[in-house]
Amino acid sequence: MAREIYAYKCRLCDTMHYPFRMVCKNCKQNDFFEFDTVPLPKEGKLLTFTRVYNLPPQYEVPTLGLGIVELENGMRMLGQLDIDEPKAGMAVKGSVEIVRQETYDGYYGMVFRSA
Amino acid sequence: MRDVYVAGIGITTFTRLEFALSEIASYASMMALKDAGITEVDQVYVANMGAPRVNHQTALASAVVDSLSLTPAGAAAIENGPASGGSAIKAGFQAVASGMDDVVLVVGVERMREVNGLEATDFVATLTHPIAEYIYGVTLPAHAAMFTRLYMDKYGVTERHLAMVGVKNQNAALNNEWAHLQQEISLEGILDSPEAMTNNPYVAEPLRFFDACPVSDGGAAIILVSEEKAKELGRPLIKISGVGQATDTHAVHEREEPTDLLAVRKAAADAFEMAGLTPDDVDVAELHDAFTILEIVESEEVGFFPKGEGHIALEKGETALGGKIPINVGGGLKGRGHPVGATGVAQAWEIVTQLRGDGGERQVEGANVGFTCNFGGFGNNVVCLTFEKEA
Repeated sequence: MAREIYAYKCRLCDTMHYPFRMVCKNCKQNDFFEFDTVPLPKEGKLLTFTRVYNLPPQYEVPTLGLGIVELENGMRMLGQLDIDEPKAGMAVKGSVEIVRQETYDGYYGMVFRSA
Repeated sequence: MRDVYVAGIGITTFTRLEFALSEIASYASMMALKDAGITEVDQVYVANMGAPRVNHQTALASAVVDSLSLTPAGAAAIENGPASGGSAIKAGFQAVASGMDDVVLVVGVERMREVNGLEATDFVATLTHPIAEYIYGVTLPAHAAMFTRLYMDKYGVTERHLAMVGVKNQNAALNNEWAHLQQEISLEGILDSPEAMTNNPYVAEPLRFFDACPVSDGGAAIILVSEEKAKELGRPLIKISGVGQATDTHAVHEREEPTDLLAVRKAAADAFEMAGLTPDDVDVAELHDAFTILEIVESEEVGFFPKGEGHIALEKGETALGGKIPINVGGGLKGRGHPVGATGVAQAWEIVTQLRGDGGERQVEGANVGFTCNFGGFGNNVVCLTFEKEA
C-alpha cells in the first residue's frame, strides 16, 4: 500500500489543516482529536524552492533540494525535491519516502519529482 | 502602568569567545550595572536559546544571578528562539511597568561556537515545525532562501539588492568595536569579480555566504528602572515607550500570502500605537537582518516604506547612515553578529547608545526616537520596541 501523509479535517466545519493542530484554526470549537484524517494529494505545482549546501550533520549528501508545493486541493506543504533544475510553477508529483535518518530511525516525508 | 526607562547598558565583543556561558552573560551584565551605578536589582531575566542543547547547561538564570552576587533577587531564563532578547525585555518592562519591581537586569547571551557550524545550524533549525519542516532538513537559511525567491519574482528584488544590504551592514560594523565582522567588503568582491563565486558561494540558493549573519558568541545587557529610580540614578532618560509582540503560523507554508510577514506588521503597529508614534517619527532603527532579505522586507512591514519598495529605498541610500531612516548603523546581525539569545538585547543596546549620542563614527545626528525589530522563528514570533529620549 502506498504510504500517505495526512491532512486533518475538522469534524465541525470541514476546514483542512496540515500539519496537525489541536484546535481548528477556523471554528476553534472542536473537542480533543475531533478531526478526520484525509490523505494529502500527491500532485501539485512548485511554489518556491532552494538548494541547501550547509546541512545538519545527519545528511550525508553534498546538497539538498527543498521546496514548497501548492497541492491540487489548494493546500501547501514543504518537501524534499529530487529535481535537477527546478522551476517555479512546474508540475510535480510526490512520493512518501525516508527523508531523514537518525541512527536506526528513519523519518518519512514527501519527496517531489517532476510530474 | 508606570513608565519604564533604560538606566544602564553593557555588551561583550561578539566573536568566538573562550569563556563559559555564564561568564559571558555576567561580563555584559557587570558593564550595565556599572553604567547604571547600581549593585542591587529586584529581578534578572536571562535571554538564551541554546544553553541546554549547545552548552549542556540548564537553569542559566540561577548561575548568572549568583555569579553577579545579585542573590536573593528573582531570576528566570527566557527561551523564545531568536526573539528571546526582545521577549526578555518585554518581561522586564512588564515587571517595572506593573509596579512589582523597580530595577530589572535583562541580559541576553549565547555561546554557539562551542559546537561546529553544522551542529549550530541544526540547533537553530530545531525551532522549525518538527513534523512538517525539521525532518526534511530545513534550515533557517533554507526558509529565507525560499522566501527570497518569492520576493524576487513578485517585487523585482535581485541578488544585487541583497548584496547591497550585506555590504552596507558589514562595512557599518567597522565603526562598531564590539562587532564580530571587521572586514571591509565590496560589491565587486562578493558579486561582480571573476572570484565572486569563490568568495561568496551559495549557502541556500539564491542566498549566498555574505547574505547570512555569522555564528557568534556574545552577550548584551540593559537595566530597566522606574521613573523615580531613573531620576535618582541621574543617567540620560531613555524611555521604552512602545512594546509590541505578535505571532504567526509555526509552519511557514500555512501562511495565506507567503510573501507577508504578518507578525512583523502587527508587532510594529502595536508598538507604535502604544507609543503614540508613527514609523515616520523614527530616527534610527535596528532590524533583524539574520539574512539580507529580512532587512528589506522588515523595512516595509514595520511601515518605513510601502510593501515591495524596500529595495528601492535601499538603492537610493535612504537606509544608510545619513539617509531618511538609517537602519543597522552598528552592523546589524550581519556585521555585529548573531548570538541568538543576545540579539534582541544588543539591538536595544545600539539604540540606547544612539539616543545618548554616544555612537561616535556611526552616530545618527539628532536621534531622539529609536526602533527595534527582533524576529524569531521564520517570522512566527516577533517583538518590536520603540525608544524615546527625554530632555
